[in-house]
Amino acid sequence: MDPEVQDILTRITGLDLQKVFKPVKQELKPPTYKLLTDTQLEEATQLARLEAQKLLRMAPVLPEREPINDILSEDKILEGMDTAKYMFTDITYNIPHRERFIVVREPIGTLRKATWEERDRLIQVYFPKEGRKLTAPPVFKEENLKVMYSQDRHVEVLDRCLVQFEPDSSDYIRVHVTTYEDVERQGKYDLLRSTRHFGGITWYLVTARRVDRLLVDMLQKDLLQDAESLVSLFNMVHPHSETAQEAARLQASGTDLLKVYAKFESQRAGYIELALQAYEQSPAESSAV
Amino acid sequence: MAASIRVCGVLRVTFGGVAPLRTAGGAVQRSHLSTLSTTPAFTPLTPAAAAAVTWQQVRHGSFFNKLTADELWRGVLGETGAGSKKGRGKRAKRKMKKDLNRGQIIGEGKGGFLWPGLNSPVLREGVVQTMSLRGESEQQELQAELVRQREEWDRRRRMKVKRERGWTGSSWGGISLGSPDPGPNGETYEDFDSRVIEVKTVFNMTAKEGRKRSISCLVAVGNGNGAAGFALGKAPDRTTALRKAKNRAIHYLYYIERYNDHTIYHDIDSTVKKTTLRMKKQSRGYGLHCHRAVITICKLIGLKDMYAKVEGSVNLLNVTKALFTGLANQETHQVLSDKKQLNVVEFQSERGPLPLLVARPEGGARAEPEPQDAIPNTRLHWEDVRAAQGMKRSVWAGVKRTIW
Repeated sequence: MDPEVQDILTRITGLDLQKVFKPVKQELKPPTYKLLTDTQLEEATQLARLEAQKLLRMAPVLPEREPINDILSEDKILEGMDTAKYMFTDITYNIPHRERFIVVREPIGTLRKATWEERDRLIQVYFPKEGRKLTAPPVFKEENLKVMYSQDRHVEVLDRCLVQFEPDSSDYIRVHVTTYEDVERQGKYDLLRSTRHFGGITWYLVTARRVDRLLVDMLQKDLLQDAESLVSLFNMVHPHSETAQEAARLQASGTDLLKVYAKFESQRAGYIELALQAYEQSPAESSAV
Repeated sequence: MAASIRVCGVLRVTFGGVAPLRTAGGAVQRSHLSTLSTTPAFTPLTPAAAAAVTWQQVRHGSFFNKLTADELWRGVLGETGAGSKKGRGKRAKRKMKKDLNRGQIIGEGKGGFLWPGLNSPVLREGVVQTMSLRGESEQQELQAELVRQREEWDRRRRMKVKRERGWTGSSWGGISLGSPDPGPNGETYEDFDSRVIEVKTVFNMTAKEGRKRSISCLVAVGNGNGAAGFALGKAPDRTTALRKAKNRAIHYLYYIERYNDHTIYHDIDSTVKKTTLRMKKQSRGYGLHCHRAVITICKLIGLKDMYAKVEGSVNLLNVTKALFTGLANQETHQVLSDKKQLNVVEFQSERGPLPLLVARPEGGARAEPEPQDAIPNTRLHWEDVRAAQGMKRSVWAGVKRTIW
């Protein structure tokens, strides 16, 4: 991915220290106190900020993987020898999981490469990853997802999904898409704002060209720089759209970018212009006062 | 009075035909009636009538009329005498004085007579009534009612009032005495609750009586918001001693600062004579893992989470003193920051590396940082070290409790 895109996405995500370091549910110990000078305090805050940036690294976004249908050999002699499938895994320690050989001998006699789901399951058996279950937990079913959304627990859903599934599995993409849709439908961007999932949802919306509501939300919260970066990201991703060409022609920046976008692309032009005007008026008022 | 008594000793002779006059009321009336009985004209006795005369000896003055009810009861109960002094009496046998004239209406009796002015109204439709008799069944009903009422009173008196249980069934520790009594200038202490810590019987040798017994009570009061105090009250009986202690405690209040209203600011060790109290700060939800007296007092102060260990003597007065002095001499974060001229920063383990500024010194923090030694210069406790190293063998260490 482009480093510029990465930059923009990290900037948009914001860095609310209080939200990032929210108390995790664990065994409580009484707090420790330290006597620090101002410089030491700033150093400590800086360290905390670095930690936060590490925690806010965006999750990978990959296209969906294609199913494996490789048959290695067909042995009709072995047909009926056994009633169960045999799965052979290579458990050498220092091979990346993507390159492991996992093959299946069916009762019919065919020797084929294992499917992605089978691969995931077996790798979890031999090299268990913390937090990952062998079978997908029932949270990821449709009805249960709806329950989680009604309780505003989108962040939890996305975290669990990250742990459970591979980034290019269909389940991962499906859960993410449903979550992003729900967040966008309800306009609850704030839930994801200081988490590692904000980049993901922005990328999804930008590629789907449905940035309107997010933009309006940002303007309502007076995040002008974020709005500009969003529009510039949009232009980078879709360089052949009218907005991008117009902006390149005018060398627009700042509120002009937003005006260009409002004119050409968005369905809610009026809304965006209203918000822009309100924003322009409020600094004028504050400077006048 | 003496004349009437003497007259009552007169023999009353009843004649065959004359119905005996039933007496009602006290000695005075009887004397009046007896004088009446002596005045009727003496008819000469015929031989037949003389044979029918029956002599019934009735004495109107006896032992039971010579004394008042109070004097009689004093004789029965036996309060005086050497047996009851100096605590020599046996506890179980104790007769209660009962007022026998309770519920008695002058005029009511077994005969069922209606005396106007006493039982029945004097005037009825303008006519002055005379003495009459009540009906049989009605009289029986009334008597039954009287008996029932008396039994009801007896039952009420015998009923045991259920007493709130303190730390144990028969101990007075931990029992609440309500709020202290209002002061002379009208101050009320409604939001203060008082709890007994200790009730003990103490003796003092005097020259005249020898061992003189008195009850000593240690009571703590508090309003749950940091204001609390304790006092000792002594009196010959328990209720007075409790009252004295309760009302005295309100005049000796301490204000104790709490961190976030639930725990202390830092670990405290306080010593009074031979009693050491080690208190440790705990996080929310831990509860009060302390001696039962310490728990009672902490609830009155408003502390909710703390660990405390009493080492050495467990004299409750010294424990209370150690607790209050230790808590009152706490160093709040602001005081600490002013003393050291540095910012006090809190690191919570559940929040990761995020620093939270708790107190800033007034003049601004100084430039030189706190000198950091390679080995931290804290004083360790041998008990803590033993527990950490696994040298301590205790069945009570990790026991699961449901009530604190």
